[in-house]
Amino acid sequence: MCLRSSSYTSPKPCKHLADYKLRHAFDGYDSLQNCLKTTPIGRTRVDNHNTKIPRCNFCNGYLGRLYICLMCSSISCSTHILLHTQSKSGHDVAIDIERSELYCCLCCDQVYDPDFDKVVVSEQIKGSCPGRSNKRRRLDSGMELDLKKSKRLIAMRDGRAKSCYPLGLRGLNNLGNTCFMNSVLQALLHAPPLRNYFLSDHHNRDECKRRYGEKLCLLCEIGALVSAMFSGDRSPYSPAQFLYSWWQHSSNLASYEEQDAHEFFISVLDGIHEKESKVRNSSKDDGDCQCIAHRAFSGSLRSDVTCTICGFTSTTYDPCVDVSLNLDTVNLSAAEKTGLSTLSGCLNLFTRAERLGSDSKLHCQNCQELRDTSKQLSISRLPLVLCLHIKRFEHSLIQKTSRKIDQYLQFPFALDMTPYLSSSIVRSRFGNRIFAFECENSDSSAEYEIFAVIAHSGMLESGHYVTYLHVNNQWYKCDDAWICEVDEGIVRASQCYMLFYVQKLLYHKANKDLSCNASVESR
Amino acid sequence: MSGPNEDNNTQLSSHIFGDLLDSIIVDVASECHRIAKLGLDRNLEEEEEEMRLSAQARARVADPSNSSETNTKYVVDIFGQTHPSVATEIFECMNCGRSIAAGRFAPHLEKCMGKGRKARLKVTRSSTAAQNRYSRGSPVSTYSPYSNSTSTNRLSNGTPSVAGEEYSNGTYEEPWNKT
Repeated sequence: MCLRSSSYTSPKPCKHLADYKLRHAFDGYDSLQNCLKTTPIGRTRVDNHNTKIPRCNFCNGYLGRLYICLMCSSISCSTHILLHTQSKSGHDVAIDIERSELYCCLCCDQVYDPDFDKVVVSEQIKGSCPGRSNKRRRLDSGMELDLKKSKRLIAMRDGRAKSCYPLGLRGLNNLGNTCFMNSVLQALLHAPPLRNYFLSDHHNRDECKRRYGEKLCLLCEIGALVSAMFSGDRSPYSPAQFLYSWWQHSSNLASYEEQDAHEFFISVLDGIHEKESKVRNSSKDDGDCQCIAHRAFSGSLRSDVTCTICGFTSTTYDPCVDVSLNLDTVNLSAAEKTGLSTLSGCLNLFTRAERLGSDSKLHCQNCQELRDTSKQLSISRLPLVLCLHIKRFEHSLIQKTSRKIDQYLQFPFALDMTPYLSSSIVRSRFGNRIFAFECENSDSSAEYEIFAVIAHSGMLESGHYVTYLHVNNQWYKCDDAWICEVDEGIVRASQCYMLFYVQKLLYHKANKDLSCNASVESR
Repeated sequence: MSGPNEDNNTQLSSHIFGDLLDSIIVDVASECHRIAKLGLDRNLEEEEEEMRLSAQARARVADPSNSSETNTKYVVDIFGQTHPSVATEIFECMNCGRSIAAGRFAPHLEKCMGKGRKARLKVTRSSTAAQNRYSRGSPVSTYSPYSNSTSTNRLSNGTPSVAGEEYSNGTYEEPWNKT
């Protein structure tokens, strides 16, 4: 198995460990392999199969930390381990019995060796039979769209247009409680993959009408919107035709009232997907779907359900187009809610191992009985565009009411999703050993840059949505028809509801290509 | 019964407790040592910087002496334009052909298309299937908090899906929605 250290560094061994490896390679590790025992919660200890308690050779003590020498397997406590090294030359490296960590007696410090970790993990895996492996789905990285073509499609600019502002900035008229729609549209139309897709005319409206003849095509509507936004005309645009089409598509959401932006977002992606799968006449599952909605937003969540008695883990994968997060202080009482809520806190909450209650025991295939289980979510594949939805509502089952949580949530502009990847989560379950796990996917980067924030103000039933967009290093506030420049501090201090991040590499490339200094080629 | 026995027991139990505590502390130290050495917490500095910027931003916004950009009414936008509170652009309704002002388009369209509360109960099969596909596909909650009280839970509208049933194997039934 090859070792890939994409998300961690393999530290250099100390002189003593290096010497030991040179002289003895894996002999010590191999001989100890049979003595490693893993508990269901994932901790590995060295167990000599004796019925006697391990005791220090010098003082016969059994309390405190004990170390077993790699050379002679003699056991010493932390007080006497140095004595052992001094008395026997070359016996420099030992293993902490309780935790199976390497210890250099001369450096008096814990040291690390990928080869040793490999042995430990092999034993851990052997002990707990991992879930079935899943064929890895490669993310289609064919987002190299021809942007020269897209520039050609941008019409000659309107004389009124202020040429120093980026193209695509244009207000959207509120058609009557439609700020939920305007805010999501602003974010979507500025998502680099979607914007590029439509600007490059990948969905040609004339061809679509000619071929499929249908009146209702959300892709066409979005294409029309993108053209309008990037036309150079800066007067606010009324997305009436879009509203009409959307209401025909999602008739159960068609009503004049305050609606939820997230629900609308899902509905639009659904509309795009539906058209695409009708066109290709395919029923590919969401993970492999090539429609622009999925190509941009689709990722995959991994769920591990572990039996707390035997450690057997069952793994399932589900595609997702966004991640809905509970606020990380939602479980605290009113008195405790003085701490700061952060996005990383919410993500930690989302990926923590959760013990399912004893009243929801599940059947373990290994034990063949109902057992208490622990469930843990992680992200097995990251999307190009990451949409994080903050669930700002609380339900009281007793009173049958819901209310909005106004708690401020701190969120970063640069986000590293590495700690929430399946590779990291699974690795931490195995004690953060240096090991290449099957779920490693180092194709896509885990570093993201924020480009849009949808903020909500007001109450549950009657509030207002605005979108903050980050274009060409400047933040803009899109409040229906009003586009204003704002300082980044305003954005940081806002009450975020939906956060849109794009993979860093894509973000910088996209910004470079569509900077307002680019000359517009005539048709 | 008081006496040396009790003292012994107290001593013994504190000794045992001390041992347990030591063991736990070393465990945590060992874990953190590994995380630090392997560089798994290398983003600490960037994270702290983001926290600092956010705190700074909030302080500035909360300061009443600052001319708060968020609270003042808009005068002109970045293009030098000004807009009324209700959009006045006039266009033709694509359903009935009447001329409608933009700001009143949605309520008009609702009546015009026969939508609204009455019509919502008549959910068509195709749109249900479409909603289901997405609800099934995404294991995250599709709960809408902002719809009105007559339909607090989108899923209770007769759409049966609780996401996750299709994907987990038969032995595990997972309610994905975390409320």
